[in-house]
Amino acid sequence: MSFRLYNYVLSGNCYKVRLFASLLGVSYESIAVDFHPGQEHKGEKLLQISPAETLPIMLADDMVLTETSAMLGWMASKFDAGKNWWPVNEPTKITLIIQWLGFASDLTLTIGEARLHSMLNRDVDVDRALAGGKRALRLLEARLTEQSLRGSQWLVGENPTIADIACFPYAALAPDAGLEHDDYPVIRNWLYAIRSLDGFVTMPGIHEVHKLRDTENTL
Amino acid sequence: MTTEPVGLSVNLPSQRVMQARVGDADIAVWRGVSGKLSAWLNRCPHRGMRLSHGFVRGESLACLYHGWHYGSDGVCNYIPAHPDLEPPGTIQTTVFSIIDQDGVLWVSVDGAAGGQDLPGDSKPVRSITFSCSAKAAKDALIGSSVADGSGGELSIHDIAEGSNRLEFKSANGLNSVVVLLQQPSDQSMIAHILAAGDWSVDGMIGISRWSETVRRQAERTKNVPNSDCQDEL
Repeated sequence: MSFRLYNYVLSGNCYKVRLFASLLGVSYESIAVDFHPGQEHKGEKLLQISPAETLPIMLADDMVLTETSAMLGWMASKFDAGKNWWPVNEPTKITLIIQWLGFASDLTLTIGEARLHSMLNRDVDVDRALAGGKRALRLLEARLTEQSLRGSQWLVGENPTIADIACFPYAALAPDAGLEHDDYPVIRNWLYAIRSLDGFVTMPGIHEVHKLRDTENTL
Repeated sequence: MTTEPVGLSVNLPSQRVMQARVGDADIAVWRGVSGKLSAWLNRCPHRGMRLSHGFVRGESLACLYHGWHYGSDGVCNYIPAHPDLEPPGTIQTTVFSIIDQDGVLWVSVDGAAGGQDLPGDSKPVRSITFSCSAKAAKDALIGSSVADGSGGELSIHDIAEGSNRLEFKSANGLNSVVVLLQQPSDQSMIAHILAAGDWSVDGMIGISRWSETVRRQAERTKNVPNSDCQDEL
């Protein structure tokens, strides 16, 4: 077994790991945690593993990881022999990837917060979270617009990287928080490109691309 | 209601669907596998679901809710729960006129859509949404000039009365930037931006950044209600 993941199905951060593992074709051990309503991540059993009170938790190579950027970086280093997802030999690219990994945390703190309120009724400053989420989506749209003018549909360089995986879930889940994608055409194209990757998996709120089955009437 | 620009063609590839607003009408715009465009009232006749959440199957759009399929004529042609039933022709969406002209999608909710001619070599830059009144957005656009990326500027050239089109031209007249304005609500404005002439990638990126600068200015002056300036647009 490659790693163990303490996992919650509705968490966009846990989904980053599930999605990337599937894209890499890596199997792992998943332990379901009752984040809501059970608050199991704040129970003594999980605090013994990680006192951070957050999900996901990844156990990998004797490390206890609580930051998804580190998890994605570890998985790419370990399982992507082609070094496409985390191009360690290209200084400009990995620097920009780190930049967008940081931005992914902003998405969690804005869209993710607003979503916790709308889905689980958490007590958060919704107006502030939504304003921050809108600002973040505008930054993402601007970056992806410039990349598309350069001829790329990805955040960094010409291929998908862990930056795309890190930013994807909460950008895709923005409608859960009340931020529709209607005003962001290039984000829509980018979401579609990620959903079209071989090995893509869904989570509640993020659908697969509907492909025609051979048996279906094409009308 | 005249014809409104609702998007750049490049942002709606085949087999994709998007939402648009023209006047009071909420609209689903989609392309079949062949690239054929349709614009419909954004409401499934079955249960009222927004069809812009649906998905394209061949030359039909399927509603996300119960999967009812509608062909490009807007008539229901398949109901998954009753696969052997030929749906009655009375089950149909409200179909509007749409055309793709020079890379811009134009929709009319009353009569045939008529697009506008653009300079022949126009390339799409982006569609950008302003969260402010139409007047604030238009004032900020008219009051600015576009840098051409090599030290020159494009200044405002053409503001036809009541027009939803602004055109910026370089001093030698060879390069131009066309901004087509769409007003989806009282407090938002979408600028569809294209560039014609000799533009490098950096020059095109410069136009995109210029549009963000103008948006910041427009949103600072904020929120003049459109009712005060209806004849402006």
